[in-house]
Amino acid sequence: MITLIYGGSSSGKSAYAEDIVCNSQYKNRYYLATMKANDSESVERIARHRSLREGKEFITLEQPVDIANTINQDSDGIILLECMSNLVANEMFRDGQIKSEKSIVDKVLKDIKELESKVSSLVIVTNDIFEDGISYDDTTKEYLRALGKINAEIAKMAARSVEVVVGIGVER
Amino acid sequence: MILVIGGSYQGKTEYARQEFPNAKYFNQLHLFVKKRLVEGKKGNEILDEIREAVRGDEWVVISDEIGNGIVPMEEDDRTWREVCGRIMIELAKDATEVHRVVCGIGQRIK
Repeated sequence: MITLIYGGSSSGKSAYAEDIVCNSQYKNRYYLATMKANDSESVERIARHRSLREGKEFITLEQPVDIANTINQDSDGIILLECMSNLVANEMFRDGQIKSEKSIVDKVLKDIKELESKVSSLVIVTNDIFEDGISYDDTTKEYLRALGKINAEIAKMAARSVEVVVGIGVER
Repeated sequence: MILVIGGSYQGKTEYARQEFPNAKYFNQLHLFVKKRLVEGKKGNEILDEIREAVRGDEWVVISDEIGNGIVPMEEDDRTWREVCGRIMIELAKDATEVHRVVCGIGQRIK
């Protein structure tokens, strides 16, 4: 079962998603972190998220690409995947090459389906990065299209999709 | 306190004036936050100042949502949207009502 959590930057979506996981009945809570720590800001961001999760008994898995390989079958497990925007960027720009929108969409959706089949519940955090009205370069546009498509496809698969606005969940 | 949020040019102010004609307004909170950041204030100091300002009477706080885009190139812009987002989350907790305005149409989300 997939739950999709969508929201802008600093909208409270992580805390909201963590609450969902912590209020669930599953025994094993996995936190699948997709962000790479490659500069001081991402290190700070990761530290902030770690402190948010402290004491909540998460097993942290760091996997910037190929998320389907992260765990073995766990019928009493729930995964919090954070976040889709980093995963898509990591997959798109891996190995120093830029992949096409279509190949990224296919790859990420395939991995999500496989990951979902391994656990009881999968909570996916993704970003609203689509509303600044700026026209970006071709590569960024390709990335935006891929993420937009992936978000929409996950929403179709999901049992529940929630947009988080100023910390408040709005059902979609 | 009542919080009214939404993207730019969505009719937030007009909506607020219709819904809450007798309130006091703290408009363009996102720009206030930016001004204070430029002055060197920290997020929690700015939040305290806002909370102090809207105490007592019936206040409506209006702010743009600025976090729904690509990560900005400039560090100050990244800091601004992060601080603004965190402050709005705290104000939403304080608020008795939160309304979100899209295309002039308000939706009460709290």
